Amino acid sequence: MEEEDEEARALLGDRPEGDSAVRGAPRALPALCDPSHLAHRLVVLLLMCFLGFGSYFCYDSPAALQTQVKRDMQVNTTKFMLLYAWYSWPNVVLCLLGGFLIDRIFGIRWGTVIFSSFVCVGQVIFALGGIVNAFWLMEFGRFVFGCGFSSSTFRIGGESLAVAQNTYAVSWFKGKELNLVFGLQLSMARIGSTVNMNLMGWLYTKIETSLGSAGHLTLGVTLMIGEVVKLTDIKDFSLPLWLIFLICVCYYAAVFPFIGLGKVFFIEKFGFSPQSASAINSLLVVAMLCGLLLIPVLSGQYRVCHISSHVPSIRTPGGQNWEEHHLGPVCSSYHSPVPHDAGLHLLEPMDRYGKSHTVSFCPAVQCLLGLSYSLLACALWPMVAFVVPEHQLGTAYGFMQSIQNLGLAVISILAGMILDSRGYLLLEVFFIACVSLSLLAVVGLYLVNRARDSTLK
Amino acid sequence: MCRCWELYWGWVPCAPTPWLLLSLVCAAPFGLLGEETRKVSMEVISGGPNPQNLLHIWAVGTNSTLHYVWSTLGPPAVVLVATNTTQSVLSVNWSLLLSPDPDGGLMVLPKDSIQFSSALVFTRLLEFDSTKVSEWAAQPSGKPYPPYSLAEFSWNSSLDQATLSAAFQGHPVDDPSGAFANGSLAFKVKAFSGSGRPAQPPRLLHSADTCQLEVALVGASPRGNHSLFGLEVATLDTGLSCPPMKELRSIDDEYAPAVFQLDQLLWDSSPSGFMQWRPVAFSQKQRSRESALPCQASSLNYTLAHLLPRSPVVQAFFGSQKNFCAFTLTFGAPTGPGYWDQHYLSWSMLLGVGVPPVDVLSPLVLGIMAVALGTPGLLLLGGGLFLLLRHKPYSEYQSIN
Repeated sequence: MEEEDEEARALLGDRPEGDSAVRGAPRALPALCDPSHLAHRLVVLLLMCFLGFGSYFCYDSPAALQTQVKRDMQVNTTKFMLLYAWYSWPNVVLCLLGGFLIDRIFGIRWGTVIFSSFVCVGQVIFALGGIVNAFWLMEFGRFVFGCGFSSSTFRIGGESLAVAQNTYAVSWFKGKELNLVFGLQLSMARIGSTVNMNLMGWLYTKIETSLGSAGHLTLGVTLMIGEVVKLTDIKDFSLPLWLIFLICVCYYAAVFPFIGLGKVFFIEKFGFSPQSASAINSLLVVAMLCGLLLIPVLSGQYRVCHISSHVPSIRTPGGQNWEEHHLGPVCSSYHSPVPHDAGLHLLEPMDRYGKSHTVSFCPAVQCLLGLSYSLLACALWPMVAFVVPEHQLGTAYGFMQSIQNLGLAVISILAGMILDSRGYLLLEVFFIACVSLSLLAVVGLYLVNRARDSTLK
Repeated sequence: MCRCWELYWGWVPCAPTPWLLLSLVCAAPFGLLGEETRKVSMEVISGGPNPQNLLHIWAVGTNSTLHYVWSTLGPPAVVLVATNTTQSVLSVNWSLLLSPDPDGGLMVLPKDSIQFSSALVFTRLLEFDSTKVSEWAAQPSGKPYPPYSLAEFSWNSSLDQATLSAAFQGHPVDDPSGAFANGSLAFKVKAFSGSGRPAQPPRLLHSADTCQLEVALVGASPRGNHSLFGLEVATLDTGLSCPPMKELRSIDDEYAPAVFQLDQLLWDSSPSGFMQWRPVAFSQKQRSRESALPCQASSLNYTLAHLLPRSPVVQAFFGSQKNFCAFTLTFGAPTGPGYWDQHYLSWSMLLGVGVPPVDVLSPLVLGIMAVALGTPGLLLLGGGLFLLLRHKPYSEYQSIN
C-alpha cells in the first residue's frame, strides 16, 4: 500500500509537533517510549489490551453469577437485568460527550486515568453492595462503572476506527497492524468476558459470601482523535446511517442480554452443570474473539472487513467495497436467527435421543452465534466511515454507541421481564424478532444504497 | 413421523411419543371420545353411622360419561370410570363399604358400559432431611423421616358448585409433635366442562375429559431446617405390568417459565386413563419462576397391597388387590427455594380419560416467528432473484489502484 506509506511518512514528518503536544516529552526517548520502536508499540498494545480485558472482565461479572446474585440478593430476573441497564444509562450520554471530555477538557492522559478509575471504583462499589446486601448499592456501582467504561475503553480502543488525522495510530500501527490492533482490542475484551464467565462461578464457590470483584490494570497510552463531537450534526445524518444505527441497536440488543442470561438458560433448559453452562456461555465469547482476530487478518486478501486508512481521497470506495461490506451484516444477521432457532429446535431431538448421548449442539450453535457477531462487528463499524463525511465521524460513532447503550439498557430490562413472566421460548422469540428487524434494516440499507448508487460515491 | 421443522438438518428419528412443531401446531386438545364439552355435576354422598362423605363428579358428554369418585375414607383416593353411555349411575352400598370386606360396595351401573376404570391412592406424605444427602444413597433427596400415613388423617371437606370445585383439608388424628397444629394438607379438586387453561402456573391445559387435583401443604412444621416433602401415590396395575411413566420434553415453556417437561402416566388400555403433571411445585402462593421447585418422580414399582394403607373405596370397586404400582414424588432440592421459605407447597396434576391434552405453541409465538423469519427471508429471496435476473451494466469505472 504505497499510498499509505506515503501518508505515514508525511505524518511521521509532522511528528515533532505531535510529540510536543504530549506534555513534557523529551526529544530523545528510550526505546520503550519511542513511538517508532516496535517495543514501545508492543507495550502500548499490551496496556490497551489489559484495559479492555479488565473492563470487560468486570462488565460480565453479573452474567457469570446470575444464580448467586438472584439468590443472595433475593431479586428476580427483571431486577437482575437492571444491573446491565444501569451500566448502559450513563453511556447513552457519555458516548457522545466522552470523546469531547477526554480530548478537550482533560486531555488524553488524565481523561484515561479519570475514566479508568471510574471503572475501578464502580466495580468496587458494586462488590460492596453485594457484601452489605444492598441491591441499590450494586446498581449504583454499575452506574459508576458504566460512566467510566465506555469513555475509557471505547474511546481508547475505538480510536482505531476514527478517521486518520490521528498521528499516533497511523504512524505507530500501519496498515494491517491497525487492523490487528483493532481486532486485538475487541478480542481482549472478549477474553476478559470469557475468563470472567469461567472463573467467577468457581471463585464464588470458593468465597461463599463475597461476590468477586476484580481490579484491572489501566493507564494505556491512547490514540488521539481529531474531531469535536457536535451534536448538531445529528440532524444531518442520512438514511443509510440511521439504518446502520438500527442494525447496531437491534443486533447488539439480541446478543448481549442473551449472554447475560445464558448461563442459567443452559442450566435450566438443557440441564448442564453450572461449570458446563459457564463454559458453553463463554464459548460464544471465544468464538467472537476468534472471529475478531481472524477477520481483520483476512481482510487484506478478501476485503470482507477493511478498516485501514479511511482517508477518502486516497482510497476510492466503489460500489464493490460497499457490497462486500454488506455481505457481512447480511450474512451475520441471517445467521443469528438461524442459530437461535436451530439451537432450540435441533437440541430437542438430540436431548430426547437419550441422556446417555452427551453430544449436544449447544457448543456449535454458540460458536456460530459468536462468529456471526464478529462478522457483523467487523463489517458494521467501518461502514459508518463510508456513509458519513469526515467531520461528522466522531459524532456519528458517539451517537451510535449512545443509542446502542440506550437500546441495551431498555432491552435488558425487557428481557428480564419477559423471562420472568413468559419463559425462555418467548425470550428467544423476542431475540429472533430483534435480529430479524436488524436483518430487515440491512436489506433496506442495501436497497437504499443500490437506489442511490450513482450519487453515493 | 418426525419430519417437518427438523427436515433441513437431516431426518431425526423421534422417540415414540409424538411431539414436534407440526403436531404442536395441528393438535388441538381433544378428549376421549372427542368431547369438546361435557355437562359436569357434583354431589356429596353421605352415609354410615358416623357420616362419611364421598364426592361424586360425573361429566356427561354426547355418548359417554366420566365418573370420578373422590373419597377420604382411609387414604385420599379417586376411582375413575369411563362409560359409553349417558345413563350410567353410581351405586353405593354404605353397609358394605364400611365393613371390613367392602367388595361390591361401590358400583357403576350398567356394568357392561364401563370402558375404562382405574384408581389413584395418595398413601403417604413423605419428608426427607436434605442436609444429609449422599451421592450413592437410594434416596437422592436425603435421609427420610418417618412418613405420615394419609389413612390416619381426618378430613374436612367443602364444596363449591359454582366453580365445580371441592377441597379436602386434613391433619393427622394423632399429632404428638404438633407439626400440623397450624397447618394442613389439602386436596383441591376441580372439574371442567370445557377446555381451558388456568391463570396460575403450572397452567396445565385441561379439557372436558379431565379434572384437576391440586395438593397443597400449608403451615405444617417440618421436622428439620431443610426438609423436602414428597408424596407417595399408588395405582392399580394393568394386569401385565405397571403403567409406564413418560416424560415429554418440549421447547415450549410459555405457560410455566423454565419448565420444559410434562410428565404423564398412561394406563395403557384403550380408551386410556391418564395422569399428567408438570415436574414443578411452588413454594409460594404467588406462583412464579422464583418459587419453582423441581419435582422428581420415581419410576413405578410393584408394591404389595399390605405394605400400603388400605383404601376401602378401591377395594369396594375393584375387589381385593394383591399388588399396587406405587411411585413417589419429591418436591424441591437441597438448595434454592423450598418449603422452608414460607411453609407452603403446591403441586397440581390432571386426571382424565382419553388422549392427554398437549400444549400447543401459542399464536403469538407462531406469528412472531413467521413474520420475523419469513419477511427477511422473502426479501432476501426476492432481492437476490431480482439481482440475478437483472442485466448488469458494464462498469467503465477503473479504480486508481
